[in-house]
Amino acid sequence: MAGAIDVMRAQLHATIYWYKNNRWLFFTMFLWPYLMVGMLLVVGVMFGSMKEYASRMGVSSPGFFLLSASTVAMSSLGIVDAVAGFALYNRWLGTLNYIVLSPMRTTLIFLAAGIPDSLITMLITVTSVSPAVLYIGGLGGGLRLLLILLVMLVGMLPLLGLSVLAASLLLLVKEESNIINSIVPFMLLVSGVFYPVEILPGLLQAVSRAVPVTYVVRAARIASVFGGLRGAPLIAVFYSLLLLALAYNGAASLAIRGAEERVRMRGVD
Amino acid sequence: MPGDWAIIAEGLVKRYLTYARRGFIRRERRIIEALRGVSFKVNWGEVFGLLGPNGAGKTTTVKILTTLLLPDDGNAWVAGYNVVDEPVRVREQIGVVLNVEKGFFWKLTGRENLRYFGMLRGLRGRDLEDRVDEVGGMLGLDKLGAMDKLYEEFSLGMKARLAIARAMLTDPPVLILDEPTLGLDPHSARGIRSLLVRLARRGKAVLITTHNMFEAELICDRVAIINRGRIAAIGTVAELKRLVTDTVPINIVFTGLAEDGLESLEKLVAERLGTPARISGEDRGYRIRMLAKPGEEDRIIAESISMLSSMGLKVHRVYVEEPSLEDVFIKVTGGET
Repeated sequence: MAGAIDVMRAQLHATIYWYKNNRWLFFTMFLWPYLMVGMLLVVGVMFGSMKEYASRMGVSSPGFFLLSASTVAMSSLGIVDAVAGFALYNRWLGTLNYIVLSPMRTTLIFLAAGIPDSLITMLITVTSVSPAVLYIGGLGGGLRLLLILLVMLVGMLPLLGLSVLAASLLLLVKEESNIINSIVPFMLLVSGVFYPVEILPGLLQAVSRAVPVTYVVRAARIASVFGGLRGAPLIAVFYSLLLLALAYNGAASLAIRGAEERVRMRGVD
Repeated sequence: MPGDWAIIAEGLVKRYLTYARRGFIRRERRIIEALRGVSFKVNWGEVFGLLGPNGAGKTTTVKILTTLLLPDDGNAWVAGYNVVDEPVRVREQIGVVLNVEKGFFWKLTGRENLRYFGMLRGLRGRDLEDRVDEVGGMLGLDKLGAMDKLYEEFSLGMKARLAIARAMLTDPPVLILDEPTLGLDPHSARGIRSLLVRLARRGKAVLITTHNMFEAELICDRVAIINRGRIAAIGTVAELKRLVTDTVPINIVFTGLAEDGLESLEKLVAERLGTPARISGEDRGYRIRMLAKPGEEDRIIAESISMLSSMGLKVHRVYVEEPSLEDVFIKVTGGET
């Protein structure tokens, strides 16, 4: 019987060959993080200078923060797209039925299929911003970026759960693209990528605590205060992410099982 | 026993809930009964055709048998496994084609696509590569250059071949194919039909849905005609043809009879063979047309040839007028297409 490893191998194979056959798209992927930096910069300095932006965000190196925040934003986008978009993309291609027909639980397919693409997006993004990070922050900046990558890897766990929850919803509703289109901007809005969470209204601050990206951005902010890295807040970030991972993946597992049953009653497409 | 049959469908019922818009907000709830108790069995080693007009329930039946859809009532087994309780086991036993026009990644080649779906079915390493090459060769994809061509550049014929190649990747004992030759050129369609028959002769069970009566008549060992969610008729093609006629017209073309002997020959045939006969002129000879009861065709033909020969007449040609499967289909479905 096939299992999760087979799904991940298949997905990795498809992605690698997809990039091989779309080389220009592959190269442009290295530009996207810089486009995101541009967007963050425009939004960030909309209400003041770069200095004011840095002080508002509580970072000593705004350049490094922009790059790391962009990495977080792009990776989050990649994860949600890889997992939640999996159903949408494959339904559109007509491949979803054949994927579901693999001899394993559909739940397992959905949980495993997004992991390779999420990791690849993360890797491309980090590789893309590395030269700029090394230029701005030197070797220390590079090490801080690696630390953020580590936090992102842990942050990927709850985000995967959240994305599987979205995927469950996608399987059930028809106007699926709107869900993905809303999830990512909303997550970025409340996560503190553009401005500190502390200046958000109370309700959104509460919501932001349930968004995994918030904690990864917090780690990016901690890493952007040059001249001494604080350990305790970083550990708190790790714990928060692990807690969210447990909650979201538990909920996701139940939701996708429920969706699988409902979808089998109604038909996959 | 479920395992004795390749496929068993027992009283399958499926209802779909749909909503029809009535104004901007108001929606009217409708229940569509797609299947109303569909039952049939498919033997190992046979090509079984599921025929029916659009919306008759063919695809719904296929989706239930392939575990993509749960029935509201009734049950089904594929290779001995229950489609409701053991979906993963069923999926291990089947190769499926649902729509030959799509279902692959556009930016991957035929080989890359086959590898992807092979991996999803648990194939690895050398086994995977060998199997991909084998099915590519079996479907002629290698000769067409389709194995290393992007799917977006495929012709419909190549797409259909690739879809069937995918269905055969794990060499499953049961193949379930929804209109596998739809839209194909005659050459490709013929190749696929002959492959399906070969696979069935090797012991696999092949269930195909089709609109193509010629195809069903050509390759199906048995056929079920489904209409409005019910099996309207089931049997071999010959059995189904008997449904539309209670007599089988037999024609014998012969020469050597004098014109004044026509009437007496008609009477003689009717007396000896017990079947009404009418003689008319054809080419430079005559044609005698007799009406046999189903199952008596061979006896009537043998006896009439022997009788004509004993009278010194020369028999040139014998042919039986058979209703086509299309005639059966139209009669059974009430003319719906």
